Amino acid sequence: MSELLVKNACVIDPLRGINAETMDIAIRDGRIVEEVSGAAEVIDARGMLTMPGGVDSHTHICGTKVNFGRYMSPEDMRAGRTPRRGPMHATSGYSVPTTYGNSYRYSVMGYTTLLEGAMAPLEARHTHEEFIYTPLQDTMANTLFDGNWAIMEAIRDGDTKRVAAIIAWTLRAVKGFGVKLTNPGGTEAWQWGKNVSCIRDPVPYFEVTPAEIIRSIVEANELLHLPHSVHLHCNNLGTPGNYTCTLGSFGLIPDLNPKRQTLYATHVQYHAYGGSGWKDFCSKSEPIANFVNMRPQIVIDMGQVMFGRTTTMTADGPMEFNLYRLHHDKWSNHDVELETGSGIIPVVYRRKNLVNSIMWAIGLELALLTKSPWQCLLTTDNPNGAPFVKYPEIIALLMSKRYRDAEFATVHPDTGSRVPLPAIERELDWYEIAVMTRAGQAKALGIQEIGKGHLGPGAYADVAVYPIRIDDVDPSVDYQKVIEAFGQTEYTIKRGRVVARRGECVVDGSNATFWVKPRVSEAYDMGKDPDFIEKFDRYYTVRMRNYPVQEEYLNRNRCIETEAEI
Amino acid sequence: MKVTLVMKPATKSFIPIEAESIVPKNFLAGTDLSVWRGNRELRLDEVFSISVEGDADRVEDVEVVLSGDTSRLKRVGEYMDGGKITILGGIGMHCGNFMSDGTIEVHGNADGWLGREMAGGTIICRGDAADYCASGYRGGRKGMTGGTVEVFGRAGDFLAESIAAGTVIVHGDAGDMAGAEMHGGTLVVHGNCSRPAANMKSGSCYVFGTAQGMLPTFRKVGTIQHEGRTLIQFTGDIANRGKGNLFVKDYKYLD
Repeated sequence: MSELLVKNACVIDPLRGINAETMDIAIRDGRIVEEVSGAAEVIDARGMLTMPGGVDSHTHICGTKVNFGRYMSPEDMRAGRTPRRGPMHATSGYSVPTTYGNSYRYSVMGYTTLLEGAMAPLEARHTHEEFIYTPLQDTMANTLFDGNWAIMEAIRDGDTKRVAAIIAWTLRAVKGFGVKLTNPGGTEAWQWGKNVSCIRDPVPYFEVTPAEIIRSIVEANELLHLPHSVHLHCNNLGTPGNYTCTLGSFGLIPDLNPKRQTLYATHVQYHAYGGSGWKDFCSKSEPIANFVNMRPQIVIDMGQVMFGRTTTMTADGPMEFNLYRLHHDKWSNHDVELETGSGIIPVVYRRKNLVNSIMWAIGLELALLTKSPWQCLLTTDNPNGAPFVKYPEIIALLMSKRYRDAEFATVHPDTGSRVPLPAIERELDWYEIAVMTRAGQAKALGIQEIGKGHLGPGAYADVAVYPIRIDDVDPSVDYQKVIEAFGQTEYTIKRGRVVARRGECVVDGSNATFWVKPRVSEAYDMGKDPDFIEKFDRYYTVRMRNYPVQEEYLNRNRCIETEAEI
Repeated sequence: MKVTLVMKPATKSFIPIEAESIVPKNFLAGTDLSVWRGNRELRLDEVFSISVEGDADRVEDVEVVLSGDTSRLKRVGEYMDGGKITILGGIGMHCGNFMSDGTIEVHGNADGWLGREMAGGTIICRGDAADYCASGYRGGRKGMTGGTVEVFGRAGDFLAESIAAGTVIVHGDAGDMAGAEMHGGTLVVHGNCSRPAANMKSGSCYVFGTAQGMLPTFRKVGTIQHEGRTLIQFTGDIANRGKGNLFVKDYKYLD
């Protein structure tokens, strides 16, 4: 039995409605408890800001495309090298670091739970193997269903229950957590050298539209009672004027779940563009945020862009090809048979560039114009908008109008006429930041019930203690102190153990992977469906029995079983 | 100052030694350096018999002479910024990585990645150079950005890949994909090579022998006289905007 007591902590725990109360946190055997014995080890937090461990609900840290990003960029691997030190392995890389690099840097910032944003089912083994070497965070993987042949055939036949059954079989086979749609239909069209321009364009051969895919999979997701909602990367990413497409997609979504949102729309910054071309490119964050404000069934994340060097990687193959034609630099394109695809290119976001400056402003506007912080979460779509190590700067920008103005003065001079950012006075408070970086993310992922994202008795003892006293610091003025504090915790506690202390990771760690097993009736078990089996064996290059990821690929895993309605 | 390093015979001579510390600048402060064999750090005098003649204040006055079986010695002269390294035998991979000034002379053969991503200085190889001589690294944007590499023997595949500036001269034949992704600088191959200058953006590539497997995406311009030779001039790779120049003595398309 190991016991730990964090004393005199200034706790913000939004899922329990606790806002800056000084209290003690008792931990026994990796869980939060009411009280511990006198023999417990004591950490004196001395009034420092203490929150549940950070949760990143959309990041790209593990898997085949992340790895390709690593090996196509030797210059990135040379940046950010750190030698072996104590229990810490050597790391390298800046925008796509090694797995240990990701894990250590997240841990130092107080993050204990990560969701890999896009895992191609066929390549799930690779993702799970990299999860094993991301030791200081619990991990989950969203599974891609945007161009799945069997699902598109079921949608064409109007059989939503069969869609749900295929999702259930696949999630179970690849040990996935949620359902991800990346440019639904578009990546399949890309296999024909095409794309879909918006939600009403039919996909070649299958003749289903993205709108039908989204609607049908959203309904299937709720039939399976998955903890997370559908996780959508809208069509038409990154093109001027795409905000109408985004609003159209949001408009498809009914409110089906009382406990959480029905749609999680990711990196919405890339989907909130106005104008008819790059010449009159502008921000349309206001209509998007207004729409979200009126619909509690939608949660978005920012996908904030920060200036500097990074690598973009997504399952949206055609979009990356368009980017390649803009930059004429390195490009990788990848096709995953019957399922999805991906593309990767390195980019540099520059202040001197008008488009990049507008993108930077849009992300902030979305966070500031969305009234409820539970509905707009803080991400950079790491590493697409910026590497996650920029999160502290984003927090400071959201908390300080003065910092925003100072930064705004350094961007392209024409930005002011294209974005509403300078007119926005709102400054987020500590509580709202806590929502956007942990509580909101845990709620959106549906993992608060298994004990993530809060500090109630029974919860996982994931705690981040930041070296800042919120009564002494005015974040709108002392934004530099905010950046420093969120950049490096005093203590990061993961499952009851101190894993990082003032920038040093102090244990080797052992993570857990969460995955979902929906229980469906015999009639909907795709493993026994003759049509499914026949098509699988005919079109895939792997045998159906070799396809599922064996449990030995999951070091330590927590299976979340759900009772499906089918 | 002349530092002579004679490789001691080792029982497991096939294990490569990482010797990025062998750079003239480091010997200004003495010979208390270390190298790595596998995962073991070794003092320089455990691997070499060292003798030092004279002394120097400036890196330009330092000459390092390596002899013995140095063909498994890697990264010699990495980030070298002056002075001279003379290698009497062959040398292992990554010799002269990122060097910016000074001279490296190899009397034997050089293994792969000789002068990778070098920015300045001179490398002379009297024997053959293996693959990726004077090239960039895999996935990198820029290869060589300055200096000169001269190989008197043959060179392997991917000679001067992604070269951005500087000069590479090979007196023998070169392998496949010489000057691939070239975007600056000069590449001269006195012998034959195959598929030269694929996807070139800029710079000049000369082949004084036959270009085998000549790519069809180069447009023929005419013939020119160059240092007493008659060469056929092509534009750069029109698959990539057709910038730069390729000159060949003779060429053969793939059948």
